Amino acid sequence: MIASDFIYCRPDTLKEAATVYAKLAGEGKSPVYYGGGSEIITMSRAGSIAPGAVIDLKSIPECKVLEQNGAALMIGGAVTLRSIRESKLFPLLGAAAGRIADHTNQCRITLGGNLCGTIRYREASLPLMLTDAEVVLYGSGGERKASMLTIFRERMRLLPGEFICGVNIDARYLYAPFMHIKKTANEKIDYPLVNVSAIIIDGRIRAAFSGLCAFPFRSMEIEAVLNDKTASISSRIDKAADLLPAPALADAEGLSQYRIFVLKNTLCNVLERLRHDFK
Amino acid sequence: MGTAAGRSVKRKEAWDKATGNAKYTDDLPSLGHLTARLLTSPHAHAKIKNINKVAAFGVKGVKAVITGLDITALCGVLLQDRPHLAKDVVRYAGEPVAIVVAADEPAAISAAGLIEVEYEPLAHVLTPRAALKPGAPLLHDNPERYKRMVEDIYPQPKSNIASQYRIRKGHADTGFALSHMIVEENFYLPPSDHLAMEVRAARAEISADGMVTITTASQSPYSVIKQLSQSFSVPEGNIRVKVPFVGGGFGGKAPVLLEHLAYIASSKVGGRPVRLVITREQDMAAAPCRMGLEASVKLGCDDTGRLKAAELRFWLDCGAYADIGPYMAKSLASNCTGPYRVDNLYCDSLCVYTNHTYATSYRGFSHAEFTFCIERTMDELAKRLNIDPLKFRLINAVSPGDSSPTQVSLNPSNLGDLKACLKKLKPLSGWNGAVVPVDEHTVRAKGVSCLWKSADLPANAISGAMITFNPDGSLNLNTGVVEMGSGSKTQLAQILADKLDVDINQIHVKMSVDTRVNPEHHKTVASMTGYMAGNAVLRAAEDILAQLKTTGAEALGCSSDDIIVKGGAVYSLRNPLNKIRLKDIASGYKAPDGSSIGEPALGRGGFMLKGLSTLDPKTGKGQTAPAWTVGAQAVEVEYDTIEHTYRIISASTVIDVGMVMNPEAMRQIIRGGMAMGISMASREAYSYDQNGLLTTPTLRTYKLMHIGQEPDYRVEFVETPQEGSPYGIRSMSEHGIIGIPAALANALSNASGFSLNTLPLTPESLWKKSGGVSS
Repeated sequence: MIASDFIYCRPDTLKEAATVYAKLAGEGKSPVYYGGGSEIITMSRAGSIAPGAVIDLKSIPECKVLEQNGAALMIGGAVTLRSIRESKLFPLLGAAAGRIADHTNQCRITLGGNLCGTIRYREASLPLMLTDAEVVLYGSGGERKASMLTIFRERMRLLPGEFICGVNIDARYLYAPFMHIKKTANEKIDYPLVNVSAIIIDGRIRAAFSGLCAFPFRSMEIEAVLNDKTASISSRIDKAADLLPAPALADAEGLSQYRIFVLKNTLCNVLERLRHDFK
Repeated sequence: MGTAAGRSVKRKEAWDKATGNAKYTDDLPSLGHLTARLLTSPHAHAKIKNINKVAAFGVKGVKAVITGLDITALCGVLLQDRPHLAKDVVRYAGEPVAIVVAADEPAAISAAGLIEVEYEPLAHVLTPRAALKPGAPLLHDNPERYKRMVEDIYPQPKSNIASQYRIRKGHADTGFALSHMIVEENFYLPPSDHLAMEVRAARAEISADGMVTITTASQSPYSVIKQLSQSFSVPEGNIRVKVPFVGGGFGGKAPVLLEHLAYIASSKVGGRPVRLVITREQDMAAAPCRMGLEASVKLGCDDTGRLKAAELRFWLDCGAYADIGPYMAKSLASNCTGPYRVDNLYCDSLCVYTNHTYATSYRGFSHAEFTFCIERTMDELAKRLNIDPLKFRLINAVSPGDSSPTQVSLNPSNLGDLKACLKKLKPLSGWNGAVVPVDEHTVRAKGVSCLWKSADLPANAISGAMITFNPDGSLNLNTGVVEMGSGSKTQLAQILADKLDVDINQIHVKMSVDTRVNPEHHKTVASMTGYMAGNAVLRAAEDILAQLKTTGAEALGCSSDDIIVKGGAVYSLRNPLNKIRLKDIASGYKAPDGSSIGEPALGRGGFMLKGLSTLDPKTGKGQTAPAWTVGAQAVEVEYDTIEHTYRIISASTVIDVGMVMNPEAMRQIIRGGMAMGISMASREAYSYDQNGLLTTPTLRTYKLMHIGQEPDYRVEFVETPQEGSPYGIRSMSEHGIIGIPAALANALSNASGFSLNTLPLTPESLWKKSGGVSS
């Protein structure tokens, strides 16, 4: 159970949400935005957090959008992973969403929650980095737009009181050839040992990773190596593995050397399977 | 005899469980209850220097803060080595140190976090062999001075040995001298958890006149009475234990833990009702888990492939307290060879203290663990001899005329037919002994394992059954068996329905246990419900039949020998058309002339185990169980030779169940055992960091196999009746798990070429075997 009392707010508009956040923060209530609640519940139960207020974003229409509107697919921050998967509007994001937690939790966890949560893997970020989605944020200063690659550096870099209203993805990228391979220690429903997501755009491969280092990332250096058609696949993979932005993780899921081993095999599979789209 | 035995019958509690209506301990209304929470140790081994409760008492609603200093008694079902709350020293991370009792749960949680405990860390030891080395930290200063609750437990002075058992049969040296091939393998199996869906829970209250009521998720309600009485000097008759549905036990709810703590909590607040709630994380780290095991197995055989000798050393990791660990070591010793004929045998089985969470019974009661070691070594031996592993097992399968490790003469009744199981397993699993390539870097391979198990219960364990009638002639069956998902109460209903020849739907089963009402059943453990409670039900059925016949004879004016009870009616075989329906005679008969005839029928039956003994301390000779159950299992994997990942294709079991009482329910419980074995062997382990703290104490990181990843389960039965058992049935509820870890390891060893002697079998562990770390 959650042992402490907290205030629950359910604003109907973006502005109300930002306003009530500022008010509660000013009162020292340490408010948190609430999408699916899976982290708030589990971390409160464990005593890791004790928010004085939660602000439920699920009644704000902009946060619940899931539709393609001309040149962009718009997904609200409070849309659940399961809805994204079942909409089939962005198959790569659907694949990522379908491998985060189990079905029950996918029906709760929201896109914004996965991106902003404290659990380090944030696997929904990979497809958004690969397509350099536009992130629509809302805070006390009103609406702000930012590119995923600039605002997601190791984690979402939000201003105090800001929340994700939604993301816009360039419609040209939605059905591009892709690979999504999530390797776990042994149980399918688990955190990633290594998650490799790749997409082919304009004949070039883009790749992003979770589970490998302490944060999800897309690396232009690694992509340059992977796209170097003068080198063999195995030498490209070896070079890519040397270009990690941080040491490979070592934890209950696996040793760092084992993660590198899994990374290389997985990259090899990705390049093999995408070879028809990526000469 | 009717038609209820031998056909698939839906579980009696199926609707309640499928609709979510079934109530478990913490589902019951808790109006008026105080809430208790535990504070547990953050150290594997440390002195408690001081406990400051002042800040905790500052929380509004806190009624009591209880520590080890408030309690003098020790507890333990075999050896009284465990304080209810740690006193002076903590011996594992997770050990209960204090209880807070408060008006509500938030207050209890806050206050528990405010208790200040000052520790001084001590050196710790985490594996049994390390714990036996000279100079290893001692968990208990003088284990031999603890009070022993049973005769056959042998704690050793100035050591970490909680007990030890030895088996000496024939002459191992001679046997090895006659051996053409000798293989020796070493094993390490880490502890893991039961992870029943229902977290343990208990409630207690003490009335003004000293009557104690405990409500608990327990497999052992009658044991709760005895142990509580022992610890706190409450007369046994003053203690009432109630057990509603139990959401999975797997042995983990057989020990008494929270019941004691809830009682202590209530006793410190004037007997007010207290609800003790623990978290999943505490259920994993504080409450007892599955044993770990280290082993060294040496087997020798002649050039025809017949085993000639075995030298077996087992070091069972029982963690910080003995609990039932010594009897798991004894049970392991009793069956240590697996179901194979070994005339020259040397076995030492030690139960060793470490700074792990203490261990308790877990599905299979040590059999899955020693079977892993024996069956892996059998495969290595078969490989060296170049004999098909299944054929190698057929050559050595134990048979009537052989004797068990404890020198019990084996016959078809007490043993069953292992060779028939192996022969059936071959087509069922598609056994071909080969590793079959699928593509360039994928192979399919199978592994096989045999199993046998006998129960290890006190020689005088008892069970009982009572039967009453309802006005419509349907019956109520009342036993002390706990329903925790194995469907055993339905099987007992089948026995009664069959014996009385009434429809199974005419039998109503009392699902919950209340020790004021239900006759004692030792414990719902060891897969012995069918045998013990089944015999009690048979006797109760005979008792009520005799009463119906007496009344029937008087009502129909004939000899009771002529009375038939069949199809819900009582009649004379001389006049079958003149039937009296059960409802008209069950409460006595009212004759057409208005006179009252006979008495209401009330059935009762009791059963006590007979003819069992302890083991001779020098040779291990003795009989600890009425019979064995044998079986054979196989697992098929598809293995990626580059990535070392694998998929389990199928898992097969052929088991000699004596008689197939409820085919679909029995297949399902075997499937459940296989699923649990696959999950344990492929994913589950308690891993500890260098400070002796669990690194995976939550379900975020401790992974079970989820639904949807199940292989194709195949189950078939062999029927060799066990004399003296109802309908000839054999124990089988636990058994599906026993050979599965070994069969999986054998399949993966065949597929990979590595010799896999540890668990869990993760792709990372296979990668390490491939030399991954250094490459």
